[in-house]
Amino acid sequence: MNAVAGDNLLVEARDLGKSYPKVFRPRDRLRALGKLLLGRNDIDSVAVLRDVNLSVRRGESLGLIGENGAGKSTLLKLLTGVLTPTSGSVAVRGRVGALLELGAGFNPEYSGRENIAMSAALYGLNGDEMRNKLPEIIAFADIGRYIDEPVKHYSSGMVVRLGFAIVAALKPDLLITDEVLAVGDESFQKKCIRWMEEFLDAGGTLILVSHSMYHIQKLCRQALWLREGAVAAAGDVFEVTQAYLAYHERKLAGAVQPISLAAAQGLEFHLLGFAVNGIAQEMPVFVDAGSSLRLRVRVHSRDGRVPVIGIGIARADGTPLYGLTTEIDGVQPREDGEKAYVAEIEFQNLALLPGAYTLKAHAADTEGVRLFDTLERGAVVRGKTREFGLIRLQHLWRDVESLPVPIRSSASER
Amino acid sequence: MVPPPALVAVPMSRDNACRRVERFPLIAGMESQQVTTSMALATHFIRRELRNRYLGSLSGGLWALLQPLAQLAIYGFVWAYVFKMRLPGGDASPAAVVPFLALGVWPWNAFAESISRSATVIQENAGLIGKVALPRSVLVIATTSSSFLLHGVGFCAILTVLSLLGMPIALIKLPLALLAFAMLYVLALGFAFLFAAVQVFVRDLSQVLAQIMPLWMFVSPVLYSREFLPQAYRGWLDFNPFTFYPEFFRALLLGLGTVEPFVIFRTLMIAVAACALGYAVFQRLDSRFEDFL
Repeated sequence: MNAVAGDNLLVEARDLGKSYPKVFRPRDRLRALGKLLLGRNDIDSVAVLRDVNLSVRRGESLGLIGENGAGKSTLLKLLTGVLTPTSGSVAVRGRVGALLELGAGFNPEYSGRENIAMSAALYGLNGDEMRNKLPEIIAFADIGRYIDEPVKHYSSGMVVRLGFAIVAALKPDLLITDEVLAVGDESFQKKCIRWMEEFLDAGGTLILVSHSMYHIQKLCRQALWLREGAVAAAGDVFEVTQAYLAYHERKLAGAVQPISLAAAQGLEFHLLGFAVNGIAQEMPVFVDAGSSLRLRVRVHSRDGRVPVIGIGIARADGTPLYGLTTEIDGVQPREDGEKAYVAEIEFQNLALLPGAYTLKAHAADTEGVRLFDTLERGAVVRGKTREFGLIRLQHLWRDVESLPVPIRSSASER
Repeated sequence: MVPPPALVAVPMSRDNACRRVERFPLIAGMESQQVTTSMALATHFIRRELRNRYLGSLSGGLWALLQPLAQLAIYGFVWAYVFKMRLPGGDASPAAVVPFLALGVWPWNAFAESISRSATVIQENAGLIGKVALPRSVLVIATTSSSFLLHGVGFCAILTVLSLLGMPIALIKLPLALLAFAMLYVLALGFAFLFAAVQVFVRDLSQVLAQIMPLWMFVSPVLYSREFLPQAYRGWLDFNPFTFYPEFFRALLLGLGTVEPFVIFRTLMIAVAACALGYAVFQRLDSRFEDFL
């Protein structure tokens, strides 16, 4: 059993982290060289990726999403072995075909044909195997006479065509691509997608980075959302991409927490966690209308003073619906570990009507005057009611009779 | 088709800092198919390097032959006729200077060129290293090998030509000379690994090398022999790891001077130690290259 599971696990990363050294002056580089030669690893560095755990089994397809600078390319480079992790471990099994940052390491001075030969050598093909595959590669790339011109004369689309053609011909077990689809033209994109679909149908494994949720949803069944170098959410592709899109909507509405994690940690009070119905991940939480909604907030207090915790519920577009604080209700958070406080609120018989909402947690000082930190979660309230608006108000009909036959259609709202 | 290799395997070490297990280890625990890949890669890079340097240039392959010949002609003229150098103890004719110089110039060209070209090879291939997981040592090996291949062929060719022209060259001992040439290759590889790795961190190194290599040539018996030095300074030459090679070639092929077997052994040890040390430094810094490129 164990061996089978091991065979099928193509990619496994545990607590993976990457830091880049802070080197600005030649003197820093010299000092770094000295430290490395002495076998010391304490080089002043900036973390770009922290504690990433992921596993990809044979036949799975994983989409990596996140904003620019979130660490997606760094993660791909760690998986392909181009970069060495600073912490944690990564293991990749099987034949890997990788297209990083378009171009697969082409030498701009050489012709397309020569670059094919180099890529083939890099993937361990010998001369005969390469010659056998050459017509296939050239046909797939479909760049005409440019195949004999230096790659520096290529358009970026042509570079991607050639790179993809090479990787496609290698028939890898695992294909890792970084934004290839964004550059090719319409027909090449379709060709790539068709190829990838066939590749997946034939049992291939894919890790794809894209900013196009359409492509991610079309090709991937799993998704992983990176934010500021850490995993914000991972799991089913639709849930993760929806969470990601909701995050962008909130961000556009100006509602996303303005402080980064690193900056918040220096504050007098900052939020350690915000769990919605026990789920701490940054995914939209699905709640049934009329059920109960539990929000649990943990706050770190730098000086050990008791914070005031605020809770807010807003529509997805930012319109506030309801808000309160521990101080308003005359309670205070309970101590939970050193310099940490926790409070949980439960909304029973949830009055929110079906739709998308934003839940907010705030940390304020003991007096409830200054707001220090905010975290948000998306929530989707599910239900089959046909009422209008946002909130079900307590009501009673008078002078009415029941309808003889209930005319409920089979409304199927999400 | 090659079965899928285990491309990356990074175990966690004690201090939680991670070290790469070399994906294409060149020495220890090497699997045969990884060797094949590394070899195929090295062959590819060597072929590309050779083609690039000579077949790609305007005058084509001709340049490979003409350039060292011109160099030898100029040195021969200046040394034999301008400086009026005569070989001590041997043939006193001006023409005898030519094979004497050839046996210093070719090995030196191979040594100096391979080192200075290798020094920048990692930096020059930053684009490739940043996108493809390849054993970086292959780049250094390919650069050094192509220099030695080229100058090794030139070495054999010029000796054959000079011998045909009637110079007293013991051509029968050429295979032995090539063994010494291989030792020089091992020594050069050590320096190449060392400088290629350090250059990534200290960018001035290649400029410094451009200044140092000509100086190194003049403190080596490339264009002169030990006997030309004042008695008091002759011993200093033994601290120069390059000294052995021109002296050995001249003793072997021209019968000028003698080389003790002990010196041959010592030189071999130095070459192997330099190679091992250079490779060790390279390996230690290898995993951080991309952070500093």
